[in-house]
Amino acid sequence: MSLTDREFWALVHGMGLGALFLLAFGGGIAGLWSLRGSLVTEAGVAERTPRLLVGTTVMAAVAWLTVIVGTWIVYPWYRAGAPKGTTDLSRFPKALLVSNPDTAGWHEFGMEWKEHVAFLAPLLATAVAFTVIYYGAQLVKRGEIRQALLVFFTLAFAAAAVAGLFGALITKAAPVA
Amino acid sequence: MQSLETKPNGPVAAAFLATGIGSLALGILVCLNELGGDISKFLAFDKNFGLGSGVGPLSGKVILTVLVYVVSWAILFFAWRGKEVNFGRVFSVALILVALGFLLTFPPVFLILAPKA
Repeated sequence: MSLTDREFWALVHGMGLGALFLLAFGGGIAGLWSLRGSLVTEAGVAERTPRLLVGTTVMAAVAWLTVIVGTWIVYPWYRAGAPKGTTDLSRFPKALLVSNPDTAGWHEFGMEWKEHVAFLAPLLATAVAFTVIYYGAQLVKRGEIRQALLVFFTLAFAAAAVAGLFGALITKAAPVA
Repeated sequence: MQSLETKPNGPVAAAFLATGIGSLALGILVCLNELGGDISKFLAFDKNFGLGSGVGPLSGKVILTVLVYVVSWAILFFAWRGKEVNFGRVFSVALILVALGFLLTFPPVFLILAPKA
């Protein structure tokens, strides 16, 4: 039972950081949703603000780490061209996928979408984390901004979800190994 | 609107708008890359500047996106620091820009620009 370097980094990218991202999103969205003066007392706001801060900051940091690891470590292995005459394409996932019309769509649609849309997640999540850091407990008095945060936070999750879903499906069709 | 009980919203509005600008920049760069030729070659920052071996034009697209994002945020931050701005309007514009970013990074949209084989 062992992992190659490539499998290890693919696992860090998809499962490790991806799972952490989901966890942070769950905490962050619940915190933002309930941070309303009508729902919580002043003491309640003070109690949950640090948790919200951790959730949103971790989500932004993890989003950046995920795209950095994905782009600069895992992606070059995925897109590496196979030397001429190579018949076994199992170590060249992109070449393997596009070599067959039945699987080419995983690259031409799935990977092309995933590799770009993923970068919207850290941009969106950073704006959310910055705002929570900036306002802290005062956010409860800024309903309009809190609602905007919910929208950006959800969009960050949506971008990451598209990337994560296609990452998993592409890995199933042609793993980086 | 103006709130005397909280900090001014300028820096936060700057972060939201910079996110929109960064998203649009990514979408535009993705489309420009599909045109091929010199633009696509320039975007291969891995070959041109040694930034990430084997990443290809994606390296240029994302590095330039982050640059646009950071620079626009810095400019807006200093312009709106200590100010109360119309957040609703700024957020609406940011949301439109983010939507354009999503749209332009969707393959059926940007692949329209790819040269026909």
